[in-house]
Amino acid sequence: MTHFTADVELRVADTIKTRQMIVPQDRVAVALSGGKDSTALLLLLHRLLPEGEDVRLIAITIDEGIAGYREETIQSAEQLTGRLGIEHHCISFTGLFGDSLDAFLTGRETQACSICGIMRKKALAVGARRAGATKLATGHNLDDEAQSVLMNVFRSDLPRLVRNSSVDSSGKFIPRIKPLSRISEKEIATYLMLNDAWSELPECPYTRYAMRREVRSLLSGFEYKHPGTMLHLMESKEKIERYGKGSVISEPLRSCRECGDPCSGDLCQVCLLRQSLDR
Amino acid sequence: MRLILSDRDVRVFEHSPAPVEQILLEEGINPLEVIVSRDGKLLSEDTVILASDEVRIIRIAHGG
Repeated sequence: MTHFTADVELRVADTIKTRQMIVPQDRVAVALSGGKDSTALLLLLHRLLPEGEDVRLIAITIDEGIAGYREETIQSAEQLTGRLGIEHHCISFTGLFGDSLDAFLTGRETQACSICGIMRKKALAVGARRAGATKLATGHNLDDEAQSVLMNVFRSDLPRLVRNSSVDSSGKFIPRIKPLSRISEKEIATYLMLNDAWSELPECPYTRYAMRREVRSLLSGFEYKHPGTMLHLMESKEKIERYGKGSVISEPLRSCRECGDPCSGDLCQVCLLRQSLDR
Repeated sequence: MRLILSDRDVRVFEHSPAPVEQILLEEGINPLEVIVSRDGKLLSEDTVILASDEVRIIRIAHGG
């Protein structure tokens, strides 16, 4: 079983190296929810990042304000960063947007994951900027990434399918990196279990409304019957990304006319959301 | 054997001994969506479970 741990660490190190995700002098903000993926990400980066290259890790936790759910994962994040000696910042939706996610979602529960996703992305960007980060690392795993490919196809959202936020040549946003994007959800859970870092945490109460839940079940069924399906989806995305480079499906990066944040339209997602929520 | 699920539900599996993968499939569980342990130790899918065993089936997919 130690071979398993070594294999996962080798593959993550390889992803980081071949995609040049982290370079000397980087200050890497890790989005740490306290759940399994971000816990594994922080543990792996803490183990893998070479000493002497002056790469610094900072953890950022977003408190969306989801009663009965977030408290436990925040506690888990605090314990982990304390144990590893990593600087930890917490940003709340209430502090940033004026109210909790629960309050924003009253009567809009079916849109929970879309609304939360937009706000959380903004909160993470703010947290990373405040911490002086040069990279923002998220715990998206192979399952998450393959699900996103399929969901973008289902929604016929080609611009989002080919969007690449890992490189920012314009200096408009902090590049986002996904070092676990080639490690499956099951491998992450196994890695944590073998390294005494697994803890069972509550499930987000809004998950039941998510389209992702249906896609997850569909895709894991395919992966079980046809191993390699998820990797093939990722390869397809990368091919489309290459073919679509510079074409009309790659939307140019613009600045939101309200807040100035980078976006693809006239207004960024957060400002559009604020308008629709009348906030 | 006794199967303890993530929601603390307990089921009795009659067709033992049987490998982990077969138990999961007969229970309608995709083996990719869970990890299985016995006495706190992780089990691979080919591990054979005996009638006297108690195993935990832990769902790994969370989030939205």
